[in-house]
Formats: sequence, structure tokens, C-alpha cells
Amino acid sequence: MHLEPTTAAVVNPSGSGPHQPQPVKRPLRGDVMRFFLAIQCFFRVLFDRRFADGLKKLTQAEPDVSPTESLPRTATTPSPSQRSDAIALLATLQREARFVDLVNESFEQYSDAQVGAATREVLTDCGKVLNRLFALKAVVDIAEGESLEVPSDYDTGRFRLTGDVSGQPPLTGKLMHAGWIATQCELPSWTGSSEAALVVAPAEVQVD
Amino acid sequence: MSAKYLLGIDLGTTNCVLSYVELDAEEPQIEMLKVEQLVAASTLEQRNALPSFLYLAPEHEAVSGALDMPWRQGRQYCVGEYARRQGAEMPERTVVAAKSWLCHSRVDRRQPLLPYGAPAEVDTVSPVTASQRYLEHLAACWNAAFPDAPICDQQVVLTVPASFDAAARELTREAATGVGFPSDLVLLEEPQAALYAWLAARGDAWRKDLTQGDRLLVCDVGGGTTDLTLIDVTEEEGELELRRLAVGEHLLVGGDNMDLTLAHRVAEMFADQGIKLDAWQSISLWHSCRDAKEVLLSADPPESHRVSVLGRGSKVIGGAVSVDVPRHMATDLLLQGFFPDCQLSDKPQRHRASGFQEIGLPFESDVAITRHLAAFLMAHASDTDEAAYPTHVLFNGGVFKADALRSLVLETLGRWSTEDYPVCELPGQRDLDFAVARGAAYYGWTKHQGGMRIRGGAARSYYVGVETAGLAIPGTPRPLRAMCVVPFGMEEGTESDVPSGEIGLVLGEPAHFRFFSSAVRPGDRPGDVLPQIDEEQLAETDSLEAVLDAGDNEQETYVPVRFQSRITELGVFELWCVSTCSDQRWKLEFSIREQSPDEAGA
Repeated sequence: MHLEPTTAAVVNPSGSGPHQPQPVKRPLRGDVMRFFLAIQCFFRVLFDRRFADGLKKLTQAEPDVSPTESLPRTATTPSPSQRSDAIALLATLQREARFVDLVNESFEQYSDAQVGAATREVLTDCGKVLNRLFALKAVVDIAEGESLEVPSDYDTGRFRLTGDVSGQPPLTGKLMHAGWIATQCELPSWTGSSEAALVVAPAEVQVD
Repeated sequence: MSAKYLLGIDLGTTNCVLSYVELDAEEPQIEMLKVEQLVAASTLEQRNALPSFLYLAPEHEAVSGALDMPWRQGRQYCVGEYARRQGAEMPERTVVAAKSWLCHSRVDRRQPLLPYGAPAEVDTVSPVTASQRYLEHLAACWNAAFPDAPICDQQVVLTVPASFDAAARELTREAATGVGFPSDLVLLEEPQAALYAWLAARGDAWRKDLTQGDRLLVCDVGGGTTDLTLIDVTEEEGELELRRLAVGEHLLVGGDNMDLTLAHRVAEMFADQGIKLDAWQSISLWHSCRDAKEVLLSADPPESHRVSVLGRGSKVIGGAVSVDVPRHMATDLLLQGFFPDCQLSDKPQRHRASGFQEIGLPFESDVAITRHLAAFLMAHASDTDEAAYPTHVLFNGGVFKADALRSLVLETLGRWSTEDYPVCELPGQRDLDFAVARGAAYYGWTKHQGGMRIRGGAARSYYVGVETAGLAIPGTPRPLRAMCVVPFGMEEGTESDVPSGEIGLVLGEPAHFRFFSSAVRPGDRPGDVLPQIDEEQLAETDSLEAVLDAGDNEQETYVPVRFQSRITELGVFELWCVSTCSDQRWKLEFSIREQSPDEAGA
């Protein structure tokens, strides 16, 4: 599998791969959840422009046909709980890389060598997780330090200009940081209880 | 409903991969199915591969719904990444390497044997059932992703090791068709699939890469097994053709053995520091050692690599322990252990001293892959050459991510061969993890479109055990001879009447034949009788049996028969007993069960 699509794919907020059919949309638990979601959306649309743009795209999109709807489901199927994507990401980083453990530990009492040894492991594994989930690549495919032209209709989400920005674009400048863009967004989904939806890592008990 | 897709499935010892291609596409666009699976309790993720692990959960875990899949609730087991992780701490509840058990003919593969040595409260499963659960999971993922093209209506190519004998292939087919795979699924040998993936990637350029008279070695070292195949490049009517020359024995040694060997040594280094690792840390060490192997055996390796194991509790830094693994230790252990410098005439060492052999998997007593390789090349010597020297090598399997291992194999082959035969790696990009699945899809597509095919036929010759006539000596079984019924290279869609004397069978009773295969006797023709069974050349596989119904004439108690062998278009092996005095015939079936040597006689 080649994780990198040939074009810089737009991040798909619903988490499907470049060649995958639309994933399962999990229904919220009842009207109460929908009500809260609506309230949440109202405020985020008001204060978060990118969220608003995303929502706009979503409302204009084709209706999503869920593949599992055609599969037989038992009447007693509990509807899956919601877990925020942020918790899903944290849980993955903790499970596979011990990231949450590391940042919660005080470095004071350890030597640099000790911190380094643990950090090397954790960060290597964090990198593997991020690469698998997001397939990150540079926004601009040239070496840092080289010069490039920013087009006149540039997207402020893709380019951040500094220095003498008084002229009219297109503008030429030196690439200071190549940026990062996710070419996919494939977070795990959660089917557990809503009570445990905020659990980043379960307590582990070894039974005698 | 006609098939829209061709699915290529690599049912691996440690990972399963599903690729697919649209059948009618003019240019094949091979895609990989993202396999949704549990990666932790109640946590589903889509991954490129499904680890071939099966976790058998206690009831209290299952009732919580922790193992639910979108298509199935309340299941008491799971497969994939979560199962692999659980296996670390609960080996007695986790099935591993079911595929290696599938071709272990000394046990009944339909009996619940796995996890091997599990305590009584665990609901064990058979090797066939375990394989079915992986295939069932892949099928469900496919059906969820392509509800309009259910797997039962698609064309499927499933790969098996080249070294799988007819019985193991039949069990694989049985496992797949039992969980909704189409009955016309095709089995393809893994090293051939790897070569198809190379052909797919090279396009027409391959005709420039290879010329008539070249000989390819596909060297496939997976997690748990090593599979060797030789393929000749020939010319037919001005067109280059690929023809499989030989396949190796089933070798239970692979990359996992190497990682474990290194991990074992590193654990000793920790022990020297007074640090004892628990089961969880040992698994984590195993994974770190896989990374260490790749770093220390890379093209430009550092002098040493630091291996750290984090603490079990939430204090990762305080609990972390680490050691520096020097490069020479990795090369000593791994290169000299698994790829030692050896002569072409060296034979793998066998340890058969102990009369008692545990029923567990028959791991190789000699892990030296180079010695197995030497024996393989020597076994396929021609009249003019002392061994079957390859000119090109195609590597497959994650082990060969380590540059040093690839160069070592090439160097060794180069040293063995005469000057006329320089050995080089096939050009192009390597696809060590997914080539088999991709190649399977490409093979299915070319089969549909009528493109390039590797000609092969039966990978082994097969023999039926026939008792010699002669005076019986009490307490001694009659000596057994082996009669060839399927020659090496017998093509799909053909049948062969085996010329032999008449064999008398008793009607109304099960007829039972011991059955053998050989990967090293390409010259035997149907009807050839080997005076004795040489264990170096012939491997016994599952016996064959049929109950011969008496038919119309109840006076008859005895019927003279001859054998007729067939290989169907789908590659299914069949052996028939054909009466020489009527038009009756009986098909012999594999009897996949345990048996003591004294009941196995014909």
C-alpha cells in the first residue's frame, strides 16, 4: 500500500482512505445527543471559521450512503457511543507509544541520558503512529531555504507570509518551513460505553 | 451475478493482506483493502494488514461488547491487532501460526488443538477453524466496504506456500469455502505471486530485464517460514516464458526466529545488569529487537544501537532500562546464525537423536537458511551442472529490509556459482510486505485477460505406498514401496492413468493408502515404483482413503483397480481408484487425522 496519494489530498474529516468507500457513520445516541451537537455546532460555526467552512462543505455534499445499512443488524444492536477524535488520537499515542505517560512524568529527577533513552523509544513510536494515521507530508515540496513564489490567490491556510508583506501577491520569498499536511485522517473509532469514552488508557490489572 | 473484482489474498503466517483489482480494467490498478479490526478493546481501526492472531477471550470480557465488530456483536474472540497484543501477555488464550499447523501432517488439523497447550477452561480451536476466522474477517470487511459486490460473487486468488503439499492446500481451500468464499477460488503459490507482483510493477520492461536461459530464485523469508522457488526463463515461439522449475521444502524458520534470537541475547545483557524483564517487557523487547536488526544490518550501520525497554507502570522514564547492542553482536548472531558462510555441498544438520518428539510444530533443527538454500540448489542439479545456479534473485518478506541479509545471500550465491553465472537482484522497487497479495490480484487479472502466466503444474511429485508381496514376518510390517501417481509438473486440467499391476481392494471396507510427496524427484513418471521410502527424499503426508461400496453385484467382495490421478483447472488434486473389470470408480479423500503407524498400512 502506498500511503502517499499522488495529489495532495484534502483531509477527509470522516476518516476514509484515499481509495476507500465511505466509512460507517455512527449514529448518535438519541435526540439528546443531537441537541447538544446542534448547540455545539452553533457556537463553533460562530467562532471557528475553519469549522464553519468544513460544515458548509458537509452540508453541500452528496448524501452519505452507509455501506453497513444493507447488512443485517440485530434489533438489539446498541448504538455505538461517541468518542472525540482528540481522545481517540491520545489513546492511540498512549497505547502504541506511551506518549501520555512520558509527558506526564517529571523530568527533574532523571539524567539527560535516562530521559533520552525513554524519549527516543516514545518519539520513534509516536512518529510511526502519526505516519500511519495521517500520512503527513510537506505542504511545499521544495527544500527549506530555497526561494518560491506564492501565487496571487494563495490560501492563508497553506501559506503563512512574514517579512515585507506590503506588496501585492504573487510574492517571492524564501521557504523557512515546508509545513505539514495530512494526506489522510484515519482515526480509530470507538464502540465502547459512553462512560468510558474519555478513558485514554484503561487501568491494567494482572490477576493472580 | 458476475464478478466485478478479483481479490488477491495473502493468508500469511503472521499477517493477512487483501488486495483487489477491477476485472475488466484495461490497465490493472491494484488496490489494498483497509482491514477494519480491533486494535484495543472497543477500538476499531483500519489497517493495511490483519495480523494472523486469534484471541479467545474470557466470557466476562466478551459480554461487555469489547470485541464487537460492526457486523457481529457478542463474539467471544477477536482476530487482528488486538489479538496480537493480547497474545503478548496471554499466550494461553492466543492462537499464533495457525498456518504452520495447517501443513503439520502429524496432527489432526480439524481437532481443537490451539492454542497449543491451552488450559482446559479455554475454548480451543482447530488450525482449520483459526484460519477460517481470519478469512471470515477479511470477507466481512470486504462485504462491508463493497456491499454491491459480495465476496461470494467475486473471483478470488488465495496464496499458499509453494511448499504446501496437496493435503495442506485442500485444507486451505476447505477453510475458505466454508466461510463464504466462492467455490471456484484459485490457489497460487506465494513465491510465484511475489514474481507476478514484480511483473506487474515492471510492465513490459521485464522482457528486457531477463533473457532466455536466465534462472530466477525467489527467496521468500516470512515471519515464520522460508519458501524457495526456482523459475526458468525459456522461449516459446519467439516469446519469453516463465516456467517454475522447483520448489523447496516447508521450512519453519523465518524473521521471527531472528528477532527472538537477538531479543534472547539482549535479555541476557539486561540480566547481567541485574534487570529481569517480565512477559510484557519481553514482547516489547522483541519488537525493539526487530528495529535493532534492521538498523544494525542496514547498508550503512552504526557501531551500536541502543535498545530500551520502557517500564510497565505509568513511569516510563523511571522504569526504562536500556543497553547498547554492538553491531558485531547482531552480525554474529544473525548473519552467522541464520546465513552462515557455507559450501554448496553442505547439508542442513538434522537432529534426530531423540526418539521422543513432541507433537508441537516441527521447527527446523538447523536454522541456517544458507545451508537449506545450498541443499535446495543441489537437489535440482541438471545433467550438466552440479547445482541449479540462479542468475537472478527476487527477495520477498520483511526480513530482507535488512540490506546486509540481501547482500549476503547474493554474495553466497555468487561464490557458489561458476563464473558463467553472475547473480544479481531483479531490478525495480522492492515491495517486501505486500507483494504476495498484489501479485495474487495481478495473476487473477492476467488470467482473466489472457496475459502473462508462469507455467508450473504440480510443485511436487506424489506417491502412494504399496506393500510389497512376499512372506509375512510376524511382528514386522511388510516393506513399503512408493508408486508415483502424480509426476512433478503435471499441469492443471489434465489427468493421468497410472500404469501399474492391478491392486486388489476389498469392497465394503475402507481402503487406506499411505501417501508421500517429493520436491526433489522431478524425473519420476506415473507408475514408477521406488523400492524403498527414503525419508530424505519423500515426505509422508496425510493418508488417503475411500470406502468402496459394493455396487450392484453383492457377490463381489474384491475388486482389482488401477489409479487415475487428476489435477482440476482450479488446481485441486484428485486420485481415483478405477476398477479394471467394471466402470466403477472411487475417489480417494485425504484422511486428515492422527494415526498410529500400524493402522496406516494399505
